[in-house]
Amino acid sequence: MTEYSKMAKGSFTSTGATQIVNLPFAPDRVRITNYTAYTNFAVHGIPWGYWSSAMGQGFAAVGYVNTGPVLATGIVTSSGISTFQAGLSLQYGPTKQIVGITAANPAVVTVTAHGYSIGDTVIMQGLYQTASTGMPQIAGIPFTITAVTANTFTINWNASGSNYTALSGSPAGALVKKVLYPFLYLPEDNVVWSITTGTTTTVGTTMYHNFEIGQEIAFRIPNAWGTTQLNSLPNPITPGSPIYGYVTSITDNWTFVCSINSSAFTAFNVNQPVANVPGQTFPQVLSVGDVNSGGNVITATSPLYPSPLFPTSTNRVPTINGPAIRGAFVNNTSQGFIIGTGNAVYIGTPDTSSNLVGANADVIYWEAFLDDITMP
Amino acid sequence: MSITTTGNLGPLILQSLAPAMLYVPTPTMNYITVCDKVSMPANGGTTCRFMRPRALTPPTIQLGNSGIDPPAQIPQRDIIDAQMAFFGTGCILNEQVILQDQEGVLAWVSERLAVAMRQAEDLILRDYIVSAASEINAGGGSNGDNPTNLGVSDFSLVATTLDTNNAYKFMSGIEGMDRFGTGPVRSAYFMLTSTELQSDFDGLTGLGFLNQWNYPTNASALPSEYGSVYNIRILTSSEAPVARGASLKGNDVYYNTVLGKQAITHINQDGYSMNLIYRDPYYSGMLAQNATLAVKFAQAQAITQDTAIRNLLSTRLNNLGV
Repeated sequence: MTEYSKMAKGSFTSTGATQIVNLPFAPDRVRITNYTAYTNFAVHGIPWGYWSSAMGQGFAAVGYVNTGPVLATGIVTSSGISTFQAGLSLQYGPTKQIVGITAANPAVVTVTAHGYSIGDTVIMQGLYQTASTGMPQIAGIPFTITAVTANTFTINWNASGSNYTALSGSPAGALVKKVLYPFLYLPEDNVVWSITTGTTTTVGTTMYHNFEIGQEIAFRIPNAWGTTQLNSLPNPITPGSPIYGYVTSITDNWTFVCSINSSAFTAFNVNQPVANVPGQTFPQVLSVGDVNSGGNVITATSPLYPSPLFPTSTNRVPTINGPAIRGAFVNNTSQGFIIGTGNAVYIGTPDTSSNLVGANADVIYWEAFLDDITMP
Repeated sequence: MSITTTGNLGPLILQSLAPAMLYVPTPTMNYITVCDKVSMPANGGTTCRFMRPRALTPPTIQLGNSGIDPPAQIPQRDIIDAQMAFFGTGCILNEQVILQDQEGVLAWVSERLAVAMRQAEDLILRDYIVSAASEINAGGGSNGDNPTNLGVSDFSLVATTLDTNNAYKFMSGIEGMDRFGTGPVRSAYFMLTSTELQSDFDGLTGLGFLNQWNYPTNASALPSEYGSVYNIRILTSSEAPVARGASLKGNDVYYNTVLGKQAITHINQDGYSMNLIYRDPYYSGMLAQNATLAVKFAQAQAITQDTAIRNLLSTRLNNLGV
């Protein structure tokens, strides 16, 4: 071991889904041990895995229990172990052809073998079925995927209105790509796809909203979308004073309830005509801070500690910062490695029942290294 | 012939180092320039808290003659919190490098670290604004995309929005002078945008765009200032945020941040804006072989007046050079 090498170790209980491990460095080799798979020796198990940067991102060499069951060796060739350095925004994955989109609520996008997961954020372009039909209304909006199958994913958008035409037949120019690091600074500006008016207002966002209860929020609703009374300015009662609401409850990662009484407000209109698309601004909600009585009190036992978790309701991941006041603007940049859900490939054949990150409730130990010296 | 030439008696040493280093292309750093600056005290916790009072409702209804006071108002305030984060990078230099290299390694590595740190400050602010500020899609251009390229009506629209929100402008105007080819410059907000749009701005000459060199005097112009349109003065940088291929038609989308005073604040802690740290080889290993040279800084940022900032998103009309 040389003087400036970096080492880290840890453990987690697997959920069966991709696991992100935040570190102060991006390792060049990683070892994982599935203690549960060692304990319960069974077919499809992957008791250990090893990754080196020389293998390439997303690979791993693994121990694998074949149908014998006998402990054998295998490799993971996709969704293995990879590193990440989330420090700069506006980076995208490769573009993929969209086969079709349903004109439904919610809209379902078909992309052959897209490889996306729930929680991935994507952005689409094109989306014309003909020159005057299709769904260009949702091009350019970032969507955090709500459900997936192998060839489809679901997004939060009501495309059942008369102005939407389903996409089919892989129209030219209809493309989708993944937004690689959509939540570097939190909470973020977000596109609104639904507003339910009432004594309180229920708001649906296209991306994870990442709000906490007590977060003070502002709306930017362009005229065409209807509910412009939510806009923070101009204020007809108190000139110059922005109208803000605050989050009173969180329904899920994409939905929250805010304090504004919108009973008398104009209904939200998501049924936008194709002809309006060039130059159209999307309805947005954004965080503006905290409010007198809406935020959390800071005490040693309050939910302020440890650091905030994002997204806000499920699969929460802690930031690498220390304790923060909820509702604060938080830097969420990070680096480390990812353990994927890849299958072990044994004698050239993938075992689709195996999972590198283990099954739900498996206990995984990991060690990560960044070496001073690498020799060929 | 017995002439001695460099062919038969060449120089012993074939190279010499040019007296000055070549310059390192460095983008202009506009985001840090237009931020308000605040310093948290030492031992001041993790989070900088801003307080902004809310306006009270003006009493526009007469009291009448009943002698009864109107109900009291409850003063309210908005609280904005920004959490401090720490950043740093460095180099490990073997003493043989310092001893044997001719070009003053410690000096130029120090300079590069310092510039990298300043760029980090700017990039952090840039990405934060991209993430957190609300957006207006340009619609005044002619390219039929969403957003469109910038038209002069987009400048007017965003300045109108900020004026309606009672934002403060950064710059007072520049009065017209009797100089051929110049024109007065209005009091202005700043737009932070990409150098890649400069040809689009040039295309608006005569339609509202005034190049900086056509100001009556450019004494108050910033080094990165390209010109102005109506109430907006334009600062360009090659590092301005661009979402490549993210428009309706798959074109690049530019985040043209238009802002007034106090829209965004940059916070450090106890002057912890930069530490250049040199550790002599004495502090490494038993043979004291390696020196380290590093920079470290702490920074937080917050949009402190959300009503005074907009990202005016646009595409581009003209092709890029290569």
